[in-house]
Amino acid sequence: MRARRVPIARLAAVLGTALLLAGCGRGGSGSQQRLTVTGSTTVLPIAEVAAEEFQTAHPGKRVLVAGVGSSAGIESVSNGTSDIGTSSRDLKPEEESLGLVDTPIALDAVAVIVNPSNPVDGLTKTQVAEVFEGKITNWNQVGGPDLEIGLVNRDEASGTREAFSKIVLGGKGFDPTAAVLPGTGQVRSVVAQAASGVGYISLGFVDSSVKALSIDGIPANEQTVADGTYPISRLLHFFTKGEPTGLTKEYVDFVLSPQVQDEVVRDAGFLPIPKDAK
Amino acid sequence: MDTTRDGTRMKDPAPEMCSDESALAPEPPRTRAGRGLVKVSRATYLKEAALRNLFLLCACVAVAGVGLIFLFVGLKGWPIFGKVGIWQFLAGPKWYPTAGYFGILILIVNSLLAMIGALALGGPLAVGTAVFLSEVASPRVREIVRPAVELLAGIPSVVYGFFGLVLLRPIVADLFGGLGFGLFTVWLILAVMIVPTIAALTEDALRSVPEGIREASYAMGATKWQTIWRVLLPAAKIGIIDAIILGMGRAIGETMAVVMIAGNAPVIPDGFFKPFLTLTTVIVMNMPYASGDHRTALFGVAIVLFIVSMLFVAAIRLISRLGKEMS
Repeated sequence: MRARRVPIARLAAVLGTALLLAGCGRGGSGSQQRLTVTGSTTVLPIAEVAAEEFQTAHPGKRVLVAGVGSSAGIESVSNGTSDIGTSSRDLKPEEESLGLVDTPIALDAVAVIVNPSNPVDGLTKTQVAEVFEGKITNWNQVGGPDLEIGLVNRDEASGTREAFSKIVLGGKGFDPTAAVLPGTGQVRSVVAQAASGVGYISLGFVDSSVKALSIDGIPANEQTVADGTYPISRLLHFFTKGEPTGLTKEYVDFVLSPQVQDEVVRDAGFLPIPKDAK
Repeated sequence: MDTTRDGTRMKDPAPEMCSDESALAPEPPRTRAGRGLVKVSRATYLKEAALRNLFLLCACVAVAGVGLIFLFVGLKGWPIFGKVGIWQFLAGPKWYPTAGYFGILILIVNSLLAMIGALALGGPLAVGTAVFLSEVASPRVREIVRPAVELLAGIPSVVYGFFGLVLLRPIVADLFGGLGFGLFTVWLILAVMIVPTIAALTEDALRSVPEGIREASYAMGATKWQTIWRVLLPAAKIGIIDAIILGMGRAIGETMAVVMIAGNAPVIPDGFFKPFLTLTTVIVMNMPYASGDHRTALFGVAIVLFIVSMLFVAAIRLISRLGKEMS
């Protein structure tokens, strides 16, 4: 679903954006107002659907969205190539001097799921990492029954895998003997059917067929994600050069409106930004 | 037998091609006696010639299709051999393309493991079915069983995969533990999938054994079992081997069904119930996001698959020829 684009596509997207902007600049003020949003492919489903709805609601205003990766998005907003840079990560120390203003637009939380019959209710983040690295191979090593752990992994195109790998494994490799499944739905149904199964999916897609483990004693639910205590979560950001103004502000406000937060964001498997937080 | 017909047809094309050129000549060639074209009107003659060329065109399209695919896959995949070396590509032990490891040995081994098991289970099943249809079943039973077997061939492979994923896999997981992905599940599904291919060709082979041979066997006091085991199966040997090789091709090339139940872990499984990745499924799994050398490597895998299926076709041709020379 949240597929990573190939570098050639990135290059094409960047070039395309640049050309469009150049064209816009030279072609003069034009009758249309354009806004360029580039960056994270994880944010792409939100930014894109929101852009379509925004254009429907405001005829004559165009929002161009491209998924080129978080770093490229931050780079392009800081050098003025695009109006909004989207990112699935925080600014790095060397990027903090660029004068970018952060507007969190959604929460991306990953739940570790097991079969409902599994007596294990929670693990520490370290234990989760060891399970997925293949160091812990039996449920009895973490207080469960004597049952070999059935690891379920996602394919490398998955944004969920990327988030999970970064937050939990910290760059260490997954156990290569784990089953690799191509979709959230498959991971969920396989874990729902196999007593030994363990996998990870976006918190927004957890349902009653599986059990989401608490991590470091903190249950996985919207409250703990919203108040920032659930460890396997990250913010999705819009970065702008200075406070958003004009069309940029209109679009950012639209993305933060209940219409997008409760529909588009949830449909994409993310959680809305809590109203009081910013 | 089918293969005999194929064989004789193979020797024909050269003179056939010549005739197409001469077909355009004003005077109908007298050398083509026996076709009766010499005596017919010019209009009829032209129509016949046009038809012949139409069929030639059809054949050319098929050949061009194979040629173009081979060329395209070859051009796209060839650079990987230069990049990592043919030997490292074929025999490299680690497949982790996003980290720069392009060894497909485990994929080859896994594909062979999947094929051998499927053949061991499905081969006897298919030959047994063929013997039943050809020698044992009454005509009425045969009219029920044969369409059922043929229907197996008509089921799309993704349906087999879905069946395996949703129904068979949980059962395997319950009985043997684990997630239910693995060689065992794949064997069961592939075994059923190759039955129609092998059974149909084996039945043809058995039916082409002359009736006189059966009668001679019974006349010498042989029982039905002895006739089947000692006389008919040896007599149909070549046809059955052809059938099994075609079944092997089907098993090793199957993709959609396997990708759903294999579990796709890039390792040689250390058990019958552990996930594994094959030559075909790696392409399906990785193609959506592969880029650069990774994508080239997938085309390299396609070249390997292409060569494997060419070897199977070559084996069938060779065996048929040997069989004809023997008889």
